[in-house]
Amino acid sequence: MKYGGNTSCLELRFGEEDRLVVIDAGTGIRELAGHVMQTDLPKGPIKTELFLTHTHWDHIMGFPFFIPLFIPNTEVKVFGPVSFEDDPLSKIFGDMLRYRYWPVRLEELAANIQYSDLKEGTMDLGGDLWVTTKYLNHPVLVLGYRFEYRGKVFCTAYDTEPFRNLFDVSPDDPSYDAEAVKEGALAAEEENNKVTEFFRGADILIHDTQYTHNEYVNPKSPKLGWGHSSFEHAVNVAHKAGVKKLLLFHHDPDRSDHELDVIESKIRRTVRAKSRVEVMVAREGMTVEA
Amino acid sequence: MERDTILKVIQAYVHKMPALPVTIAKVLEITNNPKTSPADLNQIISLDPVLMGKVMRLINSAYYSLPNQITSLVRAIIMLGINTVKNLALSTAVLGTLGRASDFQALNMEGFWRHSISVGVTAKLIATRRNVDPKIREEYFIGGLLHDIGKIPLNNKLAKEYVQAISNTDREHTPLYRSEEEIMLVNHAMVGKLIIENWRLGENLSDAVTFHHNLGDYAGGHRDLVITVAIANLFSNVYELGFSGDRYPEELPAEVLQEMGVDWDYLEGIEESVKAEIEKAQVFLQVAH
Repeated sequence: MKYGGNTSCLELRFGEEDRLVVIDAGTGIRELAGHVMQTDLPKGPIKTELFLTHTHWDHIMGFPFFIPLFIPNTEVKVFGPVSFEDDPLSKIFGDMLRYRYWPVRLEELAANIQYSDLKEGTMDLGGDLWVTTKYLNHPVLVLGYRFEYRGKVFCTAYDTEPFRNLFDVSPDDPSYDAEAVKEGALAAEEENNKVTEFFRGADILIHDTQYTHNEYVNPKSPKLGWGHSSFEHAVNVAHKAGVKKLLLFHHDPDRSDHELDVIESKIRRTVRAKSRVEVMVAREGMTVEA
Repeated sequence: MERDTILKVIQAYVHKMPALPVTIAKVLEITNNPKTSPADLNQIISLDPVLMGKVMRLINSAYYSLPNQITSLVRAIIMLGINTVKNLALSTAVLGTLGRASDFQALNMEGFWRHSISVGVTAKLIATRRNVDPKIREEYFIGGLLHDIGKIPLNNKLAKEYVQAISNTDREHTPLYRSEEEIMLVNHAMVGKLIIENWRLGENLSDAVTFHHNLGDYAGGHRDLVITVAIANLFSNVYELGFSGDRYPEELPAEVLQEMGVDWDYLEGIEESVKAEIEKAQVFLQVAH
């Protein structure tokens, strides 16, 4: 496969010390584990920070396959959002490592794992690395991440779709409420503006582009409310926010390599005429420098 | 029971407080529908003080970057997403039970529900009449809806004592909050404050809940809201729009009503509109079989 079939997992490296930050623990983390064992372990115990965008299966299910967890002295700090449930991240995430799901229980792991529940805010991660979080729009609470390191900015925006006015129904509809329509329009606009500002000036933006615009609004099978964006939306918002490199990410599982090739060349042609944003379709194993 | 023990019992209960029995069937109907409509979700949450409190807690505790406390449910649903709000409502509805609407308790939950809606609707009507900024009118509704939230733990965790408090009120013609203090060493406004603070709902709502029987001691910055809720509460008690146990409420000085530009003639004039809103809510709560 040209673009790959694993679910979300990003490897970020910072500075001369090659500091490792991982975003999401989808099935891609299994291959990352092999790579880290070869490149990092010979230099000493593996230390990493793992940021989860949200707790849907495709973003967490690779965690038990992250081999460094079974090696003594590995240190993993897990960060992620929790929703209204009172369960902390340690339970939500750690529960995957239970007898019924996996032969090694969480308590038996050799690694030292610490959990931090995240909400919106900014955090100093030490060593000149800062992270800011922003809630996005998906059927569970999802955080977008903005990492800043010595003048370079890296952002994620997945899984998400644009906020929209959910109360904008026809005046003939029995549920029509003029105040709600007005308030809803304002709320959606403000949230979308906040998201654009969140990306402002990013060197790299990795954005959800599961659908084409036509698929997203197709009247026969609309994808509005499914929590994923269109290619067209991602390009527009990246342009508006002055992003330098845009990576189109979170491909529809049914999308073929050929279809992605066609989409990429079409988008590049359109963008070249109108914007300076460099657009690339993300694929497994790809390395991009900020 | 010692006061501290009572407060601990209540504190522990706040986390597990379920939706009102009057709304549960409709909450389940709406949240179990795979195509939940935002308008239905908005309406059912507006009709239940516990659901409303929990949604406001989530939106205001998660979004640190909010310049102001959010009191708009429409905004909360757009920002949190239908699915999150729907599942929050569902989990609150299935937390347990406050007893069936028909169960004998000191406070009948249906009467309590009608009273809460009445105070919310009245407070919003008064705010609208005063041309309060439409953006914060919802705050008046929520303040009214939640003003007696402190009665839920008292009625359910200290049921015996609460029966006694209400019968003392009836026998001695004293305001309920005083009878509560005599019997349980706390009153529903104090308990309400505890809940609102636990939910981190902000000073405006906390003040409305804490001071609605105690305007004389209020020197905070949300006077209009606090007074409006107090007036709406007195009106709902006097006109028996619902029943919240307070058969002999304290009068409010005429200046307080004047301060909000209302008098008893005005209040009498809105009685039918408030009743109509309660009826509309009841029709909405009927579950299709």
